[in-house]
Amino acid sequence: MTVRQTQGAIESLFNDVPVRNPVSQVMTADATPGHEEVASSTTISNEIPGPSGNNTSSCAISPMKFSPMKDTIKEDSLKRFGTKFTPISQLNQYLSDWTIRVRVTHKTEIRNWSNSNGEGKVFSFDVIDKSGEIKITAFNSQVDTFFSLVEPNEVYLISKASLKLANKQFATINNDYEITLCGNSCVLACRGRDVPSTRYRFVPISELEDKDPDVIIDVIAVCQEAGDLAQITTKAGKQLTKRELRLIDSSGKMVTLALWGEQAQTFNAPCHPVVAIKGARLSTFGGRSLTAFHSSILMVNPEIPEAFALRSWYNQEAHAYNFHSLSEFRSKAGEFTTNWKTLSDVETQQLGHGEKADYFNCVATVVFARKKNCLYQSCPTTSCHKKVHQQPNGRFHCDKCGKDYSGFKYRFILCVNLADFGDNTWATCFQDTAENLLGLTAEELGGLRDTDEDAFNQVFRKVYFSTHVFRNRIKLEIFNDECRVKVTVLEVLPLDHRQHSKNLLDRIRTLAQKN
Amino acid sequence: MSTILDVPKSRINLSMLGAYIGKPVCFVGRVEKVHPTGKMFTVVDGERQSVCVELNDPVEEELSGIVEVIGIVSNKGALMATTFSMLRDEKGIPFDLELYNEALKVIHDFPQHYPFVVSSSV
Repeated sequence: MTVRQTQGAIESLFNDVPVRNPVSQVMTADATPGHEEVASSTTISNEIPGPSGNNTSSCAISPMKFSPMKDTIKEDSLKRFGTKFTPISQLNQYLSDWTIRVRVTHKTEIRNWSNSNGEGKVFSFDVIDKSGEIKITAFNSQVDTFFSLVEPNEVYLISKASLKLANKQFATINNDYEITLCGNSCVLACRGRDVPSTRYRFVPISELEDKDPDVIIDVIAVCQEAGDLAQITTKAGKQLTKRELRLIDSSGKMVTLALWGEQAQTFNAPCHPVVAIKGARLSTFGGRSLTAFHSSILMVNPEIPEAFALRSWYNQEAHAYNFHSLSEFRSKAGEFTTNWKTLSDVETQQLGHGEKADYFNCVATVVFARKKNCLYQSCPTTSCHKKVHQQPNGRFHCDKCGKDYSGFKYRFILCVNLADFGDNTWATCFQDTAENLLGLTAEELGGLRDTDEDAFNQVFRKVYFSTHVFRNRIKLEIFNDECRVKVTVLEVLPLDHRQHSKNLLDRIRTLAQKN
Repeated sequence: MSTILDVPKSRINLSMLGAYIGKPVCFVGRVEKVHPTGKMFTVVDGERQSVCVELNDPVEEELSGIVEVIGIVSNKGALMATTFSMLRDEKGIPFDLELYNEALKVIHDFPQHYPFVVSSSV
């Protein structure tokens, strides 16, 4: 049975004016298949008119001060709208005049835009009923009408909206269609305890490997570690903030989840929280990894059974697991779980003494750079960096290539001493890091060394007592019976004092909480 | 009053003002308004609270941006300034007052790690 109301009835409901005249409502019985009979346990079920033909009832809406913008519709008024609603899963473009009864699971903020076609604003909300979920969008003047009316977790009757094929590129909801509200759309708050709330379909991390890339999925897992907030510049030159979380679950596998923008900035959950994400995209970036959308729903320690189960699994069993990661970890400074150390930690924690090399980041100041022998003569072939030896005939011989060359190219092997408040250490910068630190190429420095001693010295003077973030590799090496830890600088990054301070404050607070 | 500069001064924000009445303190905040006489100005801290700073001599230069005031807290809750220095917005990295406030809270929350002592330099 479809419900049809006269235009006047709708308008009177939206105006904050008591209705004085009785309004007739026409209810027609259509034998349209596939409409859901609302269960009789709901509050609006009692007056289901029988399927026997037309049922005309003229009922007066009592002249109460009626403001549906703010109040929930009274039960008896709802009963008059009839009880057949269309399940979301059965919405299609060929249905005219459908009404859905749904709960709002997610609502975005208003977004304004301005481009060559003009300006506009938009907001959207996701809704759910027993049969499925769908996204509803409102533009421009509909934003004004509906934004304050729609609240997350509340149930509404929605009708007279337009249905169209979903734009899958930005879709986090699995539905071929999406809804757009228009000028005469009707959104009425109602009761609906039987309407489900956010439904998650969690996928164990181990199953992510078998899924196709770009699918939208829900995952619930324990956040073993949360990376620092990082600034990323996209190829287009846009600045984004990103935070990577390391998620583990009882399937024994681990995956990274990338949060962006505000989600990344506001994420602050120490002590291994349970994290549930709905509507994340599985990507093949770095193996298999997850990335959140602006519209993905992130919940920390949600009060759902799956979260409690994960919590007790983590507390009891997780320590024994060796988690195999589906995502590659690129431990770049500021990106994922930067291993911050101070130079005094190098000694006290015996970094590099293990079987494998240790990687760490530190904030340090360059206090010395060895000018002598900072450059060596290297084979001019593109990929060969072997040192060449000058022959009596003036040519240069490369042992690796086994050939003589007329020239060579300069390459860096720069030895620096780095210091912080606690300790100092020698470290070696090779070509890329040295060029980055000194601010000129090996060829240029080589040229200066041969021609302009003052300028050559100036290059080094500039770098003395400059403070940077150093990403290093440290390993114990045996060299002629002597055991020494060798530190190699893998990357030199500018020090953002504010970000570093925030990082330190976070770490202090986390440590304090642990105690 | 050069003696105040030799004495240890606590760094505070305005929520701690009450505990430091009569004591020498170091306060950092953003200049809000300067009184026409130039002998008083209001400063806002990282928690958006404001305090009056009173000077002995009227201020000679244009006061704006972040200032660090060294002085004694009067029993009316104002700062009797002995000296102050300006951290101009145009020079260097902009000063993040909220971040400074967070650091201040850490110093006061963990006095065992940030002891307020005078260490004699040899």
